[in-house]
Amino acid sequence: MSKLFSALVAASLVFAAFPSTAIAEKPPVTNPAAAGETVTAKVNGMVCDFCAQSVKKVFKKEAAVSDVRVDLDAGTVVISLKPGKTLGDDKIKTLIKKSGYALTGLERAAG
Amino acid sequence: MVSRYVCAGLVLLALPFTANARPVSYPGGWTVIQTNNGDGSSLLVHYSPSVSDSIGLYTERNWDEDVTFTGLQYTRLINRWNGPGTQANLYVYAGLGAADPFGVGQAEAGGFLGLMADWETRRWFTGYEARLKDFGDGPEARQSMHLGVAPYLGDEGDLHTWIMLDVSHKPEGDVPLTFTPMLRFFKGVTMAEIGYTLEEEEFMFNWIFRF
Repeated sequence: MSKLFSALVAASLVFAAFPSTAIAEKPPVTNPAAAGETVTAKVNGMVCDFCAQSVKKVFKKEAAVSDVRVDLDAGTVVISLKPGKTLGDDKIKTLIKKSGYALTGLERAAG
Repeated sequence: MVSRYVCAGLVLLALPFTANARPVSYPGGWTVIQTNNGDGSSLLVHYSPSVSDSIGLYTERNWDEDVTFTGLQYTRLINRWNGPGTQANLYVYAGLGAADPFGVGQAEAGGFLGLMADWETRRWFTGYEARLKDFGDGPEARQSMHLGVAPYLGDEGDLHTWIMLDVSHKPEGDVPLTFTPMLRFFKGVTMAEIGYTLEEEEFMFNWIFRF
């Protein structure tokens, strides 16, 4: 019991001395309403950096889009939407086509 | 917007022959394509209203033949085939403008027609181009083929490197068949390639910038 008590005292002292460590170990608080939807588009034809730049330029013109990332290895475009904004499947397909490529699949994840 | 025009103007002043990577950009995109070899230099500044078209100002100065040409070029992407990890393109292009075929300051109508095709993956590249031009000194044909391999696969934003070979055939040239080993680099919106034509012992340097 005394060992347990000593351990608790030691732990308390450590947390008192390094409060930021204790805070940092807490899981991040997320507000679902504050994060936008993320859409992952599977795209055919993206084989070079110029392709990636084209897709990014076209999507970044959309008001609903906050960020666009291209993974050439996976052949995917990850589109982050602003909170409360949406971009329909047809619109995404049109934008991919407008960029010069072909959409083959979509996955959506809530923010 | 002003900086775009300043940039294009500076490039025109530099007035620095074929860089055939993506002759059409994304809708609303501008592209500068500048090529140099031992015979001359060319510059194309084009705007793409759609992913299938581009129109721009093309100028070429051939030191070897003492010919200058300035005109408009239109390029059309006839078709693109997008596959899983592959892309193939077929383009046609045409230019019309004023040529000074003998370097004496007398302009004549000139023009050119061309066809480009390529197929590439992230590892392999093959391309073909045929071009017929008449800058007031008689028609001249040229065809070239590009083969390339990427020694490593970079992702978006990385420096991409290609080891390439250009084989050009100019039936009426002093050296009809030439081989130019070259290195091509992509980084973001910029491409540059440097090579050395073995038969003519001349360097070539081309670059592309998009904005």
